[in-house]
Amino acid sequence: MRTLEKLSRRLFLERGFWATATLLWSLLRGSTVAQELHSYEGTDFIGKTREGKYKFFYINFWKPLRRINGEAWRLKITGLCESPQSFTLEQIKSINPKTQSSRMKCVECWSARASWSGFAVRELEEIVKPLPGARGILFHCGDDYKEYLSRKDLNQDQVILAHSMNGHPLSDGHGFPLRLIAPSKYGYKNPKAILEMEYVSEHQAGTWSKIGPYSPDGTILPGTDHPLELGKEPRRISGGEITNY
Amino acid sequence: MKIHGIIFIFLTVFPLISFASEMVEIPAGEFVMGDDHDRYATPRHTMHLDRFSIDLYEVTNEEFAKQFPGHAFWKGAGSHPVTDINWHEAQTYCAKRGKRLPKEEEWEKAARGDKARIYPWGDKLPRKKAHTFYSGLIKRRVGLNKKDTSPYGVRDMAGSVWEWTGSEVEGKKVTRGGLWNFHLEYEFSKTFDRNPVASSDRLPFLGFRCAR
Repeated sequence: MRTLEKLSRRLFLERGFWATATLLWSLLRGSTVAQELHSYEGTDFIGKTREGKYKFFYINFWKPLRRINGEAWRLKITGLCESPQSFTLEQIKSINPKTQSSRMKCVECWSARASWSGFAVRELEEIVKPLPGARGILFHCGDDYKEYLSRKDLNQDQVILAHSMNGHPLSDGHGFPLRLIAPSKYGYKNPKAILEMEYVSEHQAGTWSKIGPYSPDGTILPGTDHPLELGKEPRRISGGEITNY
Repeated sequence: MKIHGIIFIFLTVFPLISFASEMVEIPAGEFVMGDDHDRYATPRHTMHLDRFSIDLYEVTNEEFAKQFPGHAFWKGAGSHPVTDINWHEAQTYCAKRGKRLPKEEEWEKAARGDKARIYPWGDKLPRKKAHTFYSGLIKRRVGLNKKDTSPYGVRDMAGSVWEWTGSEVEGKKVTRGGLWNFHLEYEFSKTFDRNPVASSDRLPFLGFRCAR
C-alpha cells in the first residue's frame, strides 16, 4: 500500500511535469500562430489580409511581396515613349499634386471610400512623351501582378497615380509607394506597389483577366454594392464610378 | 419577263418590308407601370399610352457607323449593340433616322405588355444563368437570345445592354434594361428596373434603341 502510494505520487509528479510543459509549449506556440495570422509586422513581407486595421478597407495582393524601400525605389517608365526614364519618390511627389475622394469597388462585392493624393497620368505623359503608337500602359507591380489600361481610360478626369491615402503616404498594404486609382473600374484594374509602367502598342490581358474570370475592361457594372464602412448594407449602383455615397 | 418582274418587285418591296420590320407597333391602351416592392422603380400605377412604335432590336455598331462614320468597332462586332456613346449622341442618331429615344413609360410598356410582366417573357427567372463565372460583359449579336422577347415581340429588353431613354430623374437620364451576363446580380433586369446615368457618360454596358 505504501509502495503504491509512493508510485502514485511519483506518477502524479511526473505527469504533472509533462502536463505543465505541454501546456506552456502549446501556449507559446499558440501565440506565435496568432501573431502570424493577425499581422505581418515584424517581417519583411506584405500579403493578403482582411484582419485588424484592414476591416474597413480590405487589401488583396497577388503574391506576398518584400516591403519596398522608398529610398531605393524607382518608378521606371519604359516602352513606346520618347523619354523613357526613372523617377525617385521625391520626384514623383513633386509632380503637380491632386487630391480626390473616391470609392474603390471590388469585383467581390465590397467597396470602400478614401481620400487619395497623387497626380494625373497626363502630367507624367508631358514628361515622358508617349509615341503615337502607344495605345496603353502595362503596369508591373511588386507582387508580380500585371495590369493593362488603355491611355484613353488612364486620361479620364478621376484617374490618378496616388502616393497618399487619407493624408498619409500609402501604407505597404495599400500599395506603397505608388498605385493607380481608376474609380470607374473594379479594384483589380487599380494596380498597387507599381515598379514599372510600360507603354505598349497592343491591348494586353492583366494577371486576373488572363487566369481568372475577370473581364479585361473591368468597368464597374450596374448591380449591388456592399460598402464596408456602411455596414455592408446592399446598395444599388448604376455602373461606372460610384459617386452617390 | 415574268422572272424579271418578280425580281423587280422583290428588290423594290423587300427593303421596305425589311425597314418596316425593324420597328414594332405598340397599340394604344392602359398598362401597369412600376413596382411597389422595388425602391428603384416608380410606384406601381396604371397608365394610358397612345400608339407608338419602337425598334425591334437595339441599334448596332454597323447601323450607328452609317450615321457617324467615325465610329470604330472591333471586326466581327458589327451586329453587336452599339455602346460607349453618350445620351446626346443616341438622341442625335434617332433624330437622323426621323425617330427619338423612347420615354421610359413607352420602354416599360413595350417590355412588359399589358399584363404587368416582371420579365419580358413572364414572371420567372430563367433556370439557365448566363456567364455565372465571368465578371464582365459579353456582347453578342442583337436578338440572339430568343427567350428575351417581350409580349409585343420586342427583343433584348432584359439582357444584352442597358438602354438610354428620353426621360429624366434627379438631373440624370433614365436607362432601362439589364445585363443577363452579369455574374453576381441577375435580378437587376426586371421590366420596371430603372438606372439613372449622367447624360455625358459613355459606358460599355449602355446602348439604346429608338421610338417613333
